[in-house]
Amino acid sequence: MPKPKVAFYWCASCGGCEEAIVDLNEDILKVVELVDIVFWPCAMDFKYSDVRKMKDNEITVAFINGAIRNDEQEKMVRLLREKAQLVIAFGSCSQLGGIPGLANFWDRETIFESSYGKNCPSVDNPKRIFPQTKSKVPEGELTLPAFHNTVRSLDQVIDVDYYIPGCAPPPYLTMKAIGVILSGELPEKGTVLAPEKTLCDECSRNDSKPEKISIKEIKRISEVIVDSKKCFLAEGVICMGPVTRSGCTEEGDGKCISANMPCRGCFGPPPEVKDVGGKMVSALASIVGLEGEENMSDEDAEKLINQIVDPAGYFYRFSLPTSLLRRKRMSNLVKGEK
Amino acid sequence: MNTKAIIFCCNWSVYPGLLLSEDTTVEPDPEYKIIVNMCSGRLQPDLILEALKDSAWGVMIAACPPEECEHDGNYKAKRRVLLLKRVLEQFGIEPQRLKLEWIDKGESVKFKKAISDFIDELKELGPIKKLEIN
Ligand code: SF4
Repeated sequence: MPKPKVAFYWCASCGGCEEAIVDLNEDILKVVELVDIVFWPCAMDFKYSDVRKMKDNEITVAFINGAIRNDEQEKMVRLLREKAQLVIAFGSCSQLGGIPGLANFWDRETIFESSYGKNCPSVDNPKRIFPQTKSKVPEGELTLPAFHNTVRSLDQVIDVDYYIPGCAPPPYLTMKAIGVILSGELPEKGTVLAPEKTLCDECSRNDSKPEKISIKEIKRISEVIVDSKKCFLAEGVICMGPVTRSGCTEEGDGKCISANMPCRGCFGPPPEVKDVGGKMVSALASIVGLEGEENMSDEDAEKLINQIVDPAGYFYRFSLPTSLLRRKRMSNLVKGEK
Repeated sequence: MNTKAIIFCCNWSVYPGLLLSEDTTVEPDPEYKIIVNMCSGRLQPDLILEALKDSAWGVMIAACPPEECEHDGNYKAKRRVLLLKRVLEQFGIEPQRLKLEWIDKGESVKFKKAISDFIDELKELGPIKKLEIN
């Protein structure tokens, strides 16, 4: 029987998800024994035309990491969708929009302006030469992929079968997912191949939480050293554990938590959470200034809440494109009435 | 759709009074819809976001005034609204579209006035602009 064919592809990502495949270490040899890697531009020499030549559904499974930021990525994932029986959104950017998705607080124009224009102090560009999708040079025409205004998650562009969360996904989850797919006993379409509990549920610091947490002052992790056994939230440091899926390590405790850093939320929401930011507003505002709340003036409550710097950026750090509101409304982007 | 404002109000305080004061022979005002919840402190922000995403021009939460909520949920609601307003602003949505009003039991007249004032404010702002994803 021919081996199942596997493809890996990257879109708007940092390369960490590719690294996460390499991090399978010797396990990658087991994978290679079981499957044929037919496309992996980051690591092996394949051309887009190799994929175009394949028959529909010829690839058993395509692992696609990164968000969709430009035309080239969109075309490639559409092509891979045609050629693959299963598509897996691999990593936070692909699943939720990820860090590149934070660009949805801006649009193409403002991003170009801060990269090539007057808002970039280290760039001297008096002629205001900006990237063009087509430009004529003596040798002919050069093209660049069109840069979209809005970053999208993979499932906002193509149909996705499964999700593997994480920035980047831990090797043990990747191996498990490959095992499940090769076994042929496929879970329900749309399943996130990771545990369903929240990180707090699994966190060894959870027991240190007082029965009622009340935050008097918001502290940033760069300003304090938190006792390695104490819950970050109880210490006034924002931790996304209450609204984030567990599973970033096999043992349960969060990867960042074990390095004495609060959870940033890269595993995305557990199944019952619809909008990470909404849930975090709820969780955090409930405990900030809880003690003595009946005597707190409106001004003091506002001052305390305002200690949370950049709330949307913090709460939607990995999930802005898949949040309920998806992006910032900007005058040159919006059109018409609702 | 004519609905401009979604009004969340509590099942145990202001809503029963409002029901009693309503003239059932008059068609309800299509410009707002009331959603009854169990306490302002139980209202989840995702519901507010959902309303703003879908069609509402604004959302008002009618909560019991300080010291009047049996569960102290109103203080929580206050802080959530403060934080959510800042989040909305980052999404380019005017924070005035979210409003918390202290309304006590039996203050139906005040409640109705607050709703109509809010709708006037929303008309000044106009609808939330529709997103063009490209
Ligand atoms: S808030 Fe963070 S530190 Fe506290 S229990 Fe949850 S995951 Fe652990």
